[in-house]
Amino acid sequence: MEARPRRPNGRLMSVGIVLALIWTLLGYRLTIVQGADAEAFAAQGLQQRLERRTLAADRGTIVDRDGRELAVTVDSTTVYANPMEIEDPVAVARVLAPLVGREVRDVLDDLGTDTEFVYIARQLDPSVAEPVREADLAGVYLLTEPKRVYPAGALAAHVVGFVRSDDNIGLEGLELYYDAELAGRPGSLLVERDPRGLAIPQGEYRVEPAEPGSDLVLTIKSEIQFAATEALAAALERTGAAAGSVVVIDPETGEILAMVNLPTYDPNARGDIPAEALRNRAVTDVFEPGSTQKVVTISGALETGLVGPGSPFEIPEEIAIQDTVFEDFTEHGDVLTVTEIVTYSSNLGTILIGEELGARRLHTYMSAFGQGAVTGVDFPGEAPGVLRAPEDWCLATCVAGTSIGYHVSVTALQMAMVYATVANDGVWVQPHLVSEIVRADGTREGFDGIERRVLSAVTAAQMRSMLQAVVELGTGALAAVPGYRVGGKTGTTERYVEAEQAYSDDDVVASFIGMAPIADPRVVVAVVLDSPVRDATGGRGAAPVFSAVTLAALNQLGVVPDAG
Amino acid sequence: MRTMNSVELKARASVKPDVVLLIVVAALTALGIIMIFTASAPRLETAGGSRSAQMVRQIIYVGFGVVVMFVATSISDRTWQSLAPVVYVTALLLLLAVLSPVGAIRQGAQRWISLGIMDLQPSEVAKPAVVMALAVLLAPMTEATMRWLRIAKALAIAAVPAALVFVQPDLGTALVFGFVTVAMLFVAGTSVRQIVFLLVVGLIAVLAALELGVLHEYQVARLTGFLNSDEHALSYNYNQNQSQIAIGSGGLFGQGLFEGTQTNLAFVPSQSTDFIFTAIGEQLGFVGGALVIGLFGVMIWRILRVASQARDRFAQLTAAGIAAMLAFHVFVNVGMTLGILPVTGIPLPFISYGGSFYMSMGLCVGVVNSIWMRRARVPGQRQMPE
Repeated sequence: MEARPRRPNGRLMSVGIVLALIWTLLGYRLTIVQGADAEAFAAQGLQQRLERRTLAADRGTIVDRDGRELAVTVDSTTVYANPMEIEDPVAVARVLAPLVGREVRDVLDDLGTDTEFVYIARQLDPSVAEPVREADLAGVYLLTEPKRVYPAGALAAHVVGFVRSDDNIGLEGLELYYDAELAGRPGSLLVERDPRGLAIPQGEYRVEPAEPGSDLVLTIKSEIQFAATEALAAALERTGAAAGSVVVIDPETGEILAMVNLPTYDPNARGDIPAEALRNRAVTDVFEPGSTQKVVTISGALETGLVGPGSPFEIPEEIAIQDTVFEDFTEHGDVLTVTEIVTYSSNLGTILIGEELGARRLHTYMSAFGQGAVTGVDFPGEAPGVLRAPEDWCLATCVAGTSIGYHVSVTALQMAMVYATVANDGVWVQPHLVSEIVRADGTREGFDGIERRVLSAVTAAQMRSMLQAVVELGTGALAAVPGYRVGGKTGTTERYVEAEQAYSDDDVVASFIGMAPIADPRVVVAVVLDSPVRDATGGRGAAPVFSAVTLAALNQLGVVPDAG
Repeated sequence: MRTMNSVELKARASVKPDVVLLIVVAALTALGIIMIFTASAPRLETAGGSRSAQMVRQIIYVGFGVVVMFVATSISDRTWQSLAPVVYVTALLLLLAVLSPVGAIRQGAQRWISLGIMDLQPSEVAKPAVVMALAVLLAPMTEATMRWLRIAKALAIAAVPAALVFVQPDLGTALVFGFVTVAMLFVAGTSVRQIVFLLVVGLIAVLAALELGVLHEYQVARLTGFLNSDEHALSYNYNQNQSQIAIGSGGLFGQGLFEGTQTNLAFVPSQSTDFIFTAIGEQLGFVGGALVIGLFGVMIWRILRVASQARDRFAQLTAAGIAAMLAFHVFVNVGMTLGILPVTGIPLPFISYGGSFYMSMGLCVGVVNSIWMRRARVPGQRQMPE
């Protein structure tokens, strides 16, 4: 027989009390969450629903000196998908793949990824948008993205450079150097979204507009750039050279009218560009200048008053310094004037003058011409070249080798600047590629470069006469330009082979640097050929390129031909 | 004072169920149907289906549940006492069946048996079955006669279904059995010393389970994540954090039905089942949340009141066990959404979506009313009013 339970039951009462306490705890916690901490929780909720989306700023346009577009930004169509919203990836891939020009299998792989966002195809022609929209595929979306296009293709590829395609950040050339100016400031859009990333209608919404980037006006003149490319390409064909550079400078302003390197690439269709094609060699690669360097030695001797253009020098058969024997490679008499030493590119004559000038003064002039230091051109990765302190010269062949352009390394641009200084009555003007930055508000900022006098105007004029003689009487005959009096200097340098610790006897750098019209030069043109196998001297290989480029440049600049 | 004859007495004592309890159940059920609609409609609509599909199913389940409740009430508590062993064994067989290939796997757990029109969740059947089996076992006991052997038998009765549920895996329901057993042992007269001993042994068992890797990794992670809440806000604490954000966003009066950005936009998981209190908190605010907690408070008070007036120990222990079970569900579920307990996945009685659960809870309330309506019938004598 069961006992009748007591009433009231103490143990049931205890259970009731415990449960009442638990209920009090629930009530208290509810009050905290919905009362005291409610705002904090609500703010946390808004925080996770808000998403900041970046509004890309329009990247500035790059144009040549005449306003021809070299780099522009256009709208492109990007197709992306949210794989979470796609129920039948196979069907979607079958429809989508041909529209965006991809393999069905590849698209299917993308749709199979476990994310809420995947690019299907980026930066397509805007004409792709309409068919994709009409296909009406759930979970597939379109996006208008800015895309960088280079209308001139390979023409100024090394100068302009390019951007990274997915975010339009400058990677090479002026696109890199002026990235901050070109890029502008991206804006932002604050939207409220649900966990699937879809914007909530009437959700919180705040916009901060993007500031467009500045435009760049280059000093480059496309026609000269084109002519230089043609002439250089022909020379590479003719001489079998592996590579080459042409630099055209306005000596008075330092404006670079053309800067061409071969091999090159098309910035619109770059796969893997080999390093040889990517470099702007004229600025980044150094070589030993050889005979073109004689201008520095001779003009230094003229400027210090050691010699005049007519000073005679008795030329020996050879000069031996340490283990090196120097000779001349051209036919000439026993006695040469300074002008004749330049005309016939006499190594021995130049060495005699260089020894008279001495290491310290020669070094001073080399520095003054800008050797061993960057020119400060507005281009990324400029090489300073190599100019050793005079105390170290005798590790090689002391003054002798240096005075004729060995044991010193320069870029084509640095060497062009030596001649530009001679052309500009002895004043070195900082070279540059951008003449103006045009901001979105219309304000313009010009180039503010440095200038320095290296030679007197008299010395510069004497030097120009000698250079004219080189073309009219000496080694530079093929550099002559019909209708104009021009001057310049040939250079043929045996390449120093690091591995063998010696100069190669078949691998050379052939160069020609000159100016026109010689009386009042408007252009300086430097031509460098890398490892030519035929016509492998500055006079035969490089001089014809100078002739063609200079003629085109003078015509383009509207320079009146010289009388007679 | 007028005397009543036995016919009058029988009519008064047996016909009237606990109306307050029924009103509370009706109110919670109605609220549940509305909240299931708001929590499921946006998702169903996005998926391209009918907005009201889940709500309609719940209404059907409620219909079944009401039938179950009235049948349970119509069966005498004495009959329930004699049926209890059969019910218990049936529940065990169903729990075994669910682990066999008959069982259906949903969301990684094998908890259901498909019956065509609806899925049966045997762990829900086991809840009232265990309560009544324990009541049968413990009914003869008093404080003076409670022995360790009897306690061990009670633990065994709960442990078998708890273990079968645990391997499904369903940690939450297994914990329900543990809590109900301790509560019923206490009401049946187990000494406080014995209870404390059991709790210590239980704690050691839990620690051993953690050490031996019996728990699933996610179960451990939820528990440890709960203990270091800030570090895991984005992983295992995600659900709980989202749930508190949602309830906090509700404020005093809530954001209104269908205006809950957190729940309607699916930041909160299982919104119509385990996390439905979140939808209530966000859309109906403190007022709605407090109302729900208050209604449950009334429900448990009414059932404890039934227990205190039950005509015998079986009835009293059954009612007390049902009260404890409901209270545990409410506390663990609401406590989880409010961030004071770890996530264990226990639904909210009469509100959460689910057929087996609603019918099981309906049966419990039906049994409680059966006890209430027959409280005056004492074997051998008719109780006379004072």
